[in-house]
Amino acid sequence: MQLGFLVDLHLCMGCKGCEIACKVENEVPLSTWRLRVKYVDVGTFPETKRTFTPLRCNHCENAPCERICPVSALHYLENGIVNIDKERCIGCAGCVMACPYGAIYIDPQTHTADKCTYCAHRVASSMMPACVVACPVQANIFGDLDDATSNISKYIQANQGNVQVRKPEKGTNPHHYYVNGGNVTLNPLASHRVDGHQLFNKITTLPVGGHH
Amino acid sequence: MAAHEILTATNAIVTLDVALPGTVWPWLVTVNMWAKSIGTGVIFMLFLLLRKHPEQAGSLRFSTTVVSLIFIHIFLLFTLADLHQPFRMWHIFFYPHVTSAITVGAWMATAFVGLLFLLAFLSFIKKDNAAFDKTLVWVTILAIPVTLYTAGLMAQCTARELWQMPTESAQMMLAALLAGSATMILLGGSKLNYEAKSTLGVVLGLSALFGFILYMAEYIFGPMKAEEVAAVLEYIKGDGPYTVMFWVGQWMTFLLPMLLIVLSRSVKSENLLKLAALLALAGLWIVKHVWLMIPQLLPMS
Repeated sequence: MQLGFLVDLHLCMGCKGCEIACKVENEVPLSTWRLRVKYVDVGTFPETKRTFTPLRCNHCENAPCERICPVSALHYLENGIVNIDKERCIGCAGCVMACPYGAIYIDPQTHTADKCTYCAHRVASSMMPACVVACPVQANIFGDLDDATSNISKYIQANQGNVQVRKPEKGTNPHHYYVNGGNVTLNPLASHRVDGHQLFNKITTLPVGGHH
Repeated sequence: MAAHEILTATNAIVTLDVALPGTVWPWLVTVNMWAKSIGTGVIFMLFLLLRKHPEQAGSLRFSTTVVSLIFIHIFLLFTLADLHQPFRMWHIFFYPHVTSAITVGAWMATAFVGLLFLLAFLSFIKKDNAAFDKTLVWVTILAIPVTLYTAGLMAQCTARELWQMPTESAQMMLAALLAGSATMILLGGSKLNYEAKSTLGVVLGLSALFGFILYMAEYIFGPMKAEEVAAVLEYIKGDGPYTVMFWVGQWMTFLLPMLLIVLSRSVKSENLLKLAALLALAGLWIVKHVWLMIPQLLPMS
């Protein structure tokens, strides 16, 4: 079994329901996120559009976080999930530095690394991840990549040539796919990130795990 | 299309996202690298001096070992201080993950500390110079991977394209030679004559020269290979937030010490050598800090 995720960016409408469901399900502390939706505005008025990109751990086949973790706090499960053992983590932040997707954070309450686990605890009980359940347009598709009859495998088959991963050049072999994505949505260097102001806030950076 | 072309064509702007994490590895890690350079560098220099100037260096066996012990403990202390869960440090030894440079480095540093205490015992308690010199060979050999493992750690940071193993390992080794020679020039005092200090000056000058060449090679040619490197190096170019610090570091660590060493050789001045050593040691912290910080400024997502 190899669990994977796929997001159809044409369906995503940026409601952030997945973000909130994840926060509630996993008790993610304030100022940290396992999953978030990034808005990128494209074009010049009046020819503009807004894109929405849910970002979470990519559960890479060749995970840099797993490799750099000195105590195996980050480890592979048999179903392909890259899981984290917070009791073992020493908080060296090597994984935060290694992850090319910025998907790992230091939990300010436990002072350990944390990230999306594809809701491994729910998956173990044959439930879908919280974000999948919350999505009102079924933009999040989750399932077994090794099973040709699973929804995710069928979706990938049906959209051949239009399936992308983030930063393929890093050689991490992510198990998180996007359909209808592009450079603007998936490449952080392809958009401006103006310091100081966003739609609803003016905070661009936060201390790491309340440390330093 | 390259990312910067996309930017021009689409005028894409992030209008809503979560706050990005600030600096993940702060100045504590800079102190870690700086202190380790001194801790292993003085061992390299003691090894060199005992072969090139044995009559001069003999009296430095114990003091060099103590200096190495002090700086390796500073390195270990700041490594510990940087952990968010420092009291779980023992997990590295009881739940080790051998693919991690952190694990391998921790083991090697521990062995290195043990051997340094053995050197201290041989020089201070047993006063056995022959045994000391035999042990020093193994300590010097171990000092090489202890110096290099941080480069391996930086290379394992897949997200930070700027840090590549070949250049970082060369930089780590040059930093150790530079810091070691500078510290020994200052430590030598009246125990080393001008010829011995001049040998150290040559090591300092050449390390500075090659260190500077490597940084300039990255500065000029790095952006030609990778977009991420180009974006990161923008932080030390033009009005970048680390431009001034980068160049202050380059002048203090490499250029001024090189000039001072050339000058000291022509006028046979020990004071100029000492000034070069002080500048190099202070500058090395700045150079290391800039190189640690700038990749962390780049948004990863």
